[in-house]
Amino acid sequence: MKLSRRALLTSLAATGAGATAPGVFAPAVAQAKPCRVGILAPRSGIAASAGESGLRATQWAVEKFNAGGGIAGRRIELVIEEETNPKDTIERFQRLVQQEKVDCVQGIVSTGVGLALGPVAEEARALTIYWDGTTQDGVDEKLPNPKYLFRSTDNECEAVMSSLLAIKHWRGQFKTIAGINPDYSYGRNNMAAFVALLKRFNIEHEVITEQWPKVGTMELTSHVAALKAAKPDLIFSSLLFADLPVFMKQAHAAELTKGTKLVFPAAGWQHTLMKKDFTPEGMIFGHNTLYFDNPKATPLQKEFVTWYADRFKDYPNWEADRAYFAIASYKEAVEKAANSKGTAWPTIDDVIGALEGSSVESLGGKGSWRKDHIADQTFVQGFSTHANKYDFVTLDPARIETMYSTELQKPAGANFWDWLKAAKFQI
Amino acid sequence: MKQGSALLLVAVAAGALALVPILAPPFYANLLVPFYGYAIALLGFNLLFGYTGLLSFGHALFLGLGAYTAAVLAGLWGIKAFEVVLLAAALAGLILALPLGWLAVRYRGIFFGMLTLAYGMLAHAVLFKFYHLTGGDSGMRVPRMHLLGLEFSAYNKFELLAGPFYYYCLTLCALAAFLMWRIVRSPFGLHLRSLRDNAQKAEYLGVRVHQFRLAAFAVSGIYGAVGGTILGFRTGLADPELVYWTHSGHLVFMTVLGGFSSFLGPVIGALVLTLLQDQLQSLTQYWRLVLGAILALVVIFLPRGLAGLAIDAGQFLGRRRPAPSAASTTTAT
Amino acid sequence: MPAAISAIANIVIGGIFHAAVLFLVAAGLQLVFGVQKIVNLACGSFYALGAYFGITLVNYGLSAGLPDWMLLPLLLIAGLLMALIGPPIERLLRTVYDRDESFQLLLTFALVLMFQDVFRLVWGANPRSLDNVHLVYGKWTVGDFSVPLYNLLVISAALLAAILIGLFLRRTNFGRLLRATAENRAMAEALGVNVRTVYAAVFTLGTLLGTLGGALVVPTSAASLDMAVEFVIEAFAVVVIGGLGSMPGALAGAGLVGLIRALALVVYPEFEILAIYLIVIGVLLLRPSGLFGRPAT
Repeated sequence: MKLSRRALLTSLAATGAGATAPGVFAPAVAQAKPCRVGILAPRSGIAASAGESGLRATQWAVEKFNAGGGIAGRRIELVIEEETNPKDTIERFQRLVQQEKVDCVQGIVSTGVGLALGPVAEEARALTIYWDGTTQDGVDEKLPNPKYLFRSTDNECEAVMSSLLAIKHWRGQFKTIAGINPDYSYGRNNMAAFVALLKRFNIEHEVITEQWPKVGTMELTSHVAALKAAKPDLIFSSLLFADLPVFMKQAHAAELTKGTKLVFPAAGWQHTLMKKDFTPEGMIFGHNTLYFDNPKATPLQKEFVTWYADRFKDYPNWEADRAYFAIASYKEAVEKAANSKGTAWPTIDDVIGALEGSSVESLGGKGSWRKDHIADQTFVQGFSTHANKYDFVTLDPARIETMYSTELQKPAGANFWDWLKAAKFQI
Repeated sequence: MKQGSALLLVAVAAGALALVPILAPPFYANLLVPFYGYAIALLGFNLLFGYTGLLSFGHALFLGLGAYTAAVLAGLWGIKAFEVVLLAAALAGLILALPLGWLAVRYRGIFFGMLTLAYGMLAHAVLFKFYHLTGGDSGMRVPRMHLLGLEFSAYNKFELLAGPFYYYCLTLCALAAFLMWRIVRSPFGLHLRSLRDNAQKAEYLGVRVHQFRLAAFAVSGIYGAVGGTILGFRTGLADPELVYWTHSGHLVFMTVLGGFSSFLGPVIGALVLTLLQDQLQSLTQYWRLVLGAILALVVIFLPRGLAGLAIDAGQFLGRRRPAPSAASTTTAT
Repeated sequence: MPAAISAIANIVIGGIFHAAVLFLVAAGLQLVFGVQKIVNLACGSFYALGAYFGITLVNYGLSAGLPDWMLLPLLLIAGLLMALIGPPIERLLRTVYDRDESFQLLLTFALVLMFQDVFRLVWGANPRSLDNVHLVYGKWTVGDFSVPLYNLLVISAALLAAILIGLFLRRTNFGRLLRATAENRAMAEALGVNVRTVYAAVFTLGTLLGTLGGALVVPTSAASLDMAVEFVIEAFAVVVIGGLGSMPGALAGAGLVGLIRALALVVYPEFEILAIYLIVIGVLLLRPSGLFGRPAT
């Protein structure tokens, strides 16, 4: 079922992104059984805060959608299970699909789990939308053309964007580089992407030290001391767990951050913990797909952020946007498919067809699905500033950069390294 | 418990398990596949713990070994026969258990526990660090394999797991149990129990303590690896979290829950915990709290586990039998 | 101070700070094992409890208007308060004293599981930390070398604790009682020692050392859900290297682990974690009683 892009966009505008006009689908199917969406989110361990963020956003979206009549007239019901390790998460997934018989499964944040669950979702023929998971082993795509599985943007998008920013603004101002990245595939890929881009643009550089702290470790004084001893011009770090604010604190206490250029593509995950007391201005700071204080924020984002701040006394990070995008794009696709087929509820194949190539206004900006079921989303990064009303750093509004991931991730079927060398980057 | 009625109970249970794919929703058949993996691993674990008195807090190491062996043979080298992979895993278990065991069984009690804990965590660190070889945190894929030469291409993985593979594992588990039964009833098994209870005395009587413990460790390693292969096949992935120390703790939990002083206790524990954890995780997000409380209660009030409870119940019901002797509190059946 | 020396000094002092915190928790472990022969897997949970509660208390105190320098006293109080869970937990463990030591180990494992959810229930999923409040005590700077005075205070506190514990065990009556009970419980009981009280006191003291360690480390670190499970491994490494049940062993083990990690990071970062495990295994094989412990059977 091929919809022209124009037709898709027009009908999107007609129904309004994110909310159905009440009563459009309701009367004939008012008593329909609910649409059940299974959620797999981490609730313990280092990714627990991401899971919590995503869950809260999903619950907000569901309340909103249900107030407007649900999805194609059916109330949305969430069935929440916990994402833990690959083996157990696969079991919870099977329960969602076989026992709870959900219409769609959404969630997943960890790389190992995403990779293991992919083939299972395909075998189960269950429509699955990952929040922040890929099916890559490092930078190699292991599931090139899934039918039922939809995955998030490549993990390296934020690293690519930060690298481009560093090159654009600081070319010629740094030579020695130090890296401090979490010791697993995400950290390694980010650092590798950064170095590859420097090479690609012929930026003279020398990596003088690479620190690889164990994932989530909070004992970082020695790493900081080692970095201080090396005296780099620039520090690249994809730290993003609880270790990030700890590193920043210790780095500040050791005066490592004075005069050193800092490139932190994933810092936005812990943004509310990056207090002004110890986080300097002028560091390249990445918020991925949701920057809560974006001056160009849509009314939707503003509404969400206000609700979140009121309810939780906190400000959301990008995981909230990933979760929202999953459920919002699902809703759009279901309603699109039902509409064009004229049925009350589309088949799974119809929904998949509707998802491919579709696009919605997610919290942080536009998001869309490629034909190979990998997401494209809007990335926001910038330079940290203290000039705000919070006690943590935000982005300098004059120097915010927004990029769509079509410029940041390899196209379908491409090899990451080849793409990096040849791609046309806008800087 | 009289041998005849015990055997009858086991037969009934096996029969019930065999009926699960037919009578119960496919989800439960799928859920029970890892149970067989754990059951086999625990039969081996309990040879070491219940029968030899050595508590290993790093036994998940062998589970991981089995899974990674499957990943290397089937994933990297393209070997399709599951039987070959099982044999290779058993062999790998033996090869790894011998040096590790030789070093570890010199000690007892807490030192043994800590050494095995260190083994497990070292393996975790190695699997994580040497990512070029092991895939690091992403792990290594374990592809589908042929069972008894049959490809079952008409079945998707779900159907395979809930059908042919289920029965394959059930049979494998039964065979493993039978083999272990012979082992513990053999003179070797008797010697293990004697040196568990009083190592010095056993030594005077000519039992070669160190070698026997090593043999027990080796057998437990073999069983652990075989169990791990089943887990790896089922998940489709071998990842480092398989060997983390809390997973080893889980194994001990199952054993104690079921009762380490009876032969099938750990198997019962594995079954109960598998089903219990599934139910709990659907009911509450605080399932760890509940599981921890259950473990605490079992440790305090049910030292012989559920099997012990069942044996007591059986003896209570069969009141005509004489009162249990002191010998029944140790691993007897 | 020449650059190379200050670089090394920075690294060493970082290692010593980590060692100080490790020592506190390890000392708690050693006390409990030495006297009660229990290996407490929940020591990491006590550590995390001290950390979380420390943050809560400090935030509460500072927002109630207390001056910043009250940080250290507040943390100490937090550690002390959390040690109050010692007696009830000891009471729980008491039910399995007479059983095989594996039961005791398992009961502490059950505690680990339960604590994981308690932390999430009370403090939520987000990691928590204190802003650089501890810098209120200033820094000691010599050229490129600089260390926050807070870190030095913590190191001194750990050393003080070591000395006090040593004195306590050797010079006081109660300390002698403890050592007697550790050597031979039956004998001690026969001689009229109230073993129950001794055990309760020892366990509480051990808990206190754990919660104190967590509270003191939190200004330079953070409290997060997985810290309990992760920390256990390092604490055990210290205890094994130093020798189970030995106080000087805890000091030596902590110092070694802290410094080795720090140095490994400079020399060969890749092997940092592996180095510790290899040393643990090496010690267990070559000298299982550790540096200072008594020989194992």
